[in-house]
Amino acid sequence: MSFIDSLLAGLQLVGNVEAFLALGLGVAIGVIGGAIPGMSATMAVALTLPFTFSMSPITGILLLLGVYKGGIFGGSIPAILIKTPGTPASSATVLDGYPMAEKGQAGKALGMALWASCTADLISNLALIFFAGFLASFALSFGPPEFFTLILFSLTIIAGVSGDSLLRGALSAMLGLLLATIGLDLVYGTNRFTFGNPNMMGGLNFIAVLIGLFAIPEILSMVWNPSSHDGVARSLGKNKVTFQEYRRSFKSIVRGSFIGVFLGSIPGIGAAPSAFLSYSEARRKSPNKENFGNGEIEGVAASEAGNNGVAGATLIPLLALGVPGDVITAIIMGAFMIHGLQPGPMMFVLNVDVIYGLFIGLIVSSVFLFFLGSVAIRGFKYVADIPRGVLFPAVLILCVYGVFAVNNNIFDVGVMFAMGGVGFVMMRYKVPAAPFLIAFILGPLLEDNFRQSMLMSGSSGWVLFRGPITWFFWTLTAITVFAIVRAGIRATRQPSVPTP
Amino acid sequence: MEDRSIQIQLGIGAIAASVFLIAIAIPFWVSSPSNVPNIILSPLFWPNVLSALTGLVGAGLILTSLARPRPEHPAKLDVDDRPAAFRRLAIMAVIMTATVLVMPRLGLVWTAMVTFVATAFLVKTKHPKAAVVCAVLIPLVLYVFFAHIAGVAIPQGDFVRLP
Repeated sequence: MSFIDSLLAGLQLVGNVEAFLALGLGVAIGVIGGAIPGMSATMAVALTLPFTFSMSPITGILLLLGVYKGGIFGGSIPAILIKTPGTPASSATVLDGYPMAEKGQAGKALGMALWASCTADLISNLALIFFAGFLASFALSFGPPEFFTLILFSLTIIAGVSGDSLLRGALSAMLGLLLATIGLDLVYGTNRFTFGNPNMMGGLNFIAVLIGLFAIPEILSMVWNPSSHDGVARSLGKNKVTFQEYRRSFKSIVRGSFIGVFLGSIPGIGAAPSAFLSYSEARRKSPNKENFGNGEIEGVAASEAGNNGVAGATLIPLLALGVPGDVITAIIMGAFMIHGLQPGPMMFVLNVDVIYGLFIGLIVSSVFLFFLGSVAIRGFKYVADIPRGVLFPAVLILCVYGVFAVNNNIFDVGVMFAMGGVGFVMMRYKVPAAPFLIAFILGPLLEDNFRQSMLMSGSSGWVLFRGPITWFFWTLTAITVFAIVRAGIRATRQPSVPTP
Repeated sequence: MEDRSIQIQLGIGAIAASVFLIAIAIPFWVSSPSNVPNIILSPLFWPNVLSALTGLVGAGLILTSLARPRPEHPAKLDVDDRPAAFRRLAIMAVIMTATVLVMPRLGLVWTAMVTFVATAFLVKTKHPKAAVVCAVLIPLVLYVFFAHIAGVAIPQGDFVRLP
């Protein structure tokens, strides 16, 4: 199928009101969800997922992608107005966004955040369109040993970069891998930790584990400390961002976008490190570097470009290799599977219309983000005023309905609550949840590819080193482990910081 | 809690979990056919490898925490009244357990309403009237969506059935 044919097939799939409505609605839900402190873009995507069950695959996935894009931008609104990032990716935006708000320039900071977010989003989407197909055609030659080494590399990097401690990230990933062993054995069909319960024979439900890990701990945190998440919103002020200011920050925006694209396309790194790297690069190169941290508009632009540049790029490993780039794409991967689609190189052969439909939807989402983001900036006061004592019980009920709806099974609701308890303990002990979830998803793939490799080779381990691709991933894994261990040793030598 | 003691507790927990899995959980709750040609292909292999690695990570956590210098300042508490916070958590655990147990008898919608109100009052909502109104409306709206639009068979319970 030629490029034009594929594009037309995609257009045919998404060229209807329903698809664009879902995308617009998704962006709106995402902006609101991301803007509510304590909700986060991840939780917004997770809670929206059950509502996509009754939709066609492309409409449902566009809705979730809209929530993802909107959520990442939405997080910058409370970061600037109440010094509380709505989503971890917006942490760098606080550095200059809140000082600007204190000076009465919140409107200007939010305007720049929106312009930078939309520009970076567009660049990231274009990168996805150009690179995903290329990577997928390369990945078509992968066999089980290549996939095993790729997933191992992904897990190494995810465990290493998603928290301030490699070992806690590794522990989280181990727990996720162990939880993924529950159910019938992939090769022999024997029971593993099922305790004779038929509900556990298919393994634990992914949605129940996901919502349990990401939404319930936030509710338990609210129960633990009901006065958390309180903040005073600054007014927008009369200032608006000018084209001159956008032009002055344009270099930082483009640089930040490419940093986002690069880091986003590596599975596991995510938006927050990208935002901080983009911010520090902008400060290093800026003639106003002493103004950074005191309300420099270029700082807001750089951090927002960094975190939004990741949004499209994290879909590159998901679509091309079937490996989620971060937690949100892990949820979106779950949505693909629920709708009977398997992300990965074969999708570019079997479901090319879906792929191109998504590309078209993603480009349109940048436009939606621009318009809906402008409205959200003005409407934040109302979102910020939603009482937490009503919001969190509502989220709890949404979780119960959503998880029940997956399989019409009350057992899944119990799993969600149990995982919520685990997630809360992990949160208290500062064990990152992202490696747990991604390992839970990748665990069966890792084991399956390992055992297939062993079956292929008559149990010879050399098959895992059979060609340049496996060597490439082994080398990357070794470099990553070395870099993370070195960073860990350096961190260990520093004095321990007391935390609440 | 300071980082050092978190690491030590996590390390001890990970080693304990690893020993429990290798000594008790895997032998008792993972079954394997007797004719597996190679240990690598056995259903026992992967859980054992992961359990052993969990133990190693636990040991690593303890060793690195011991290498860390002690903090100069004690940690600040995140809540003023910890016993009250633990009490609230225990009540929330009861609410969650009750939600799962009561749902087949009472139905999802009515259970959700009670759970909503109980949670809202547990976190001492400053808007009790709004909470009660939302407790009634939100489960009903979700019921309409899931039962009539998404076609999900929402449990109705034994007492009051909804259309």
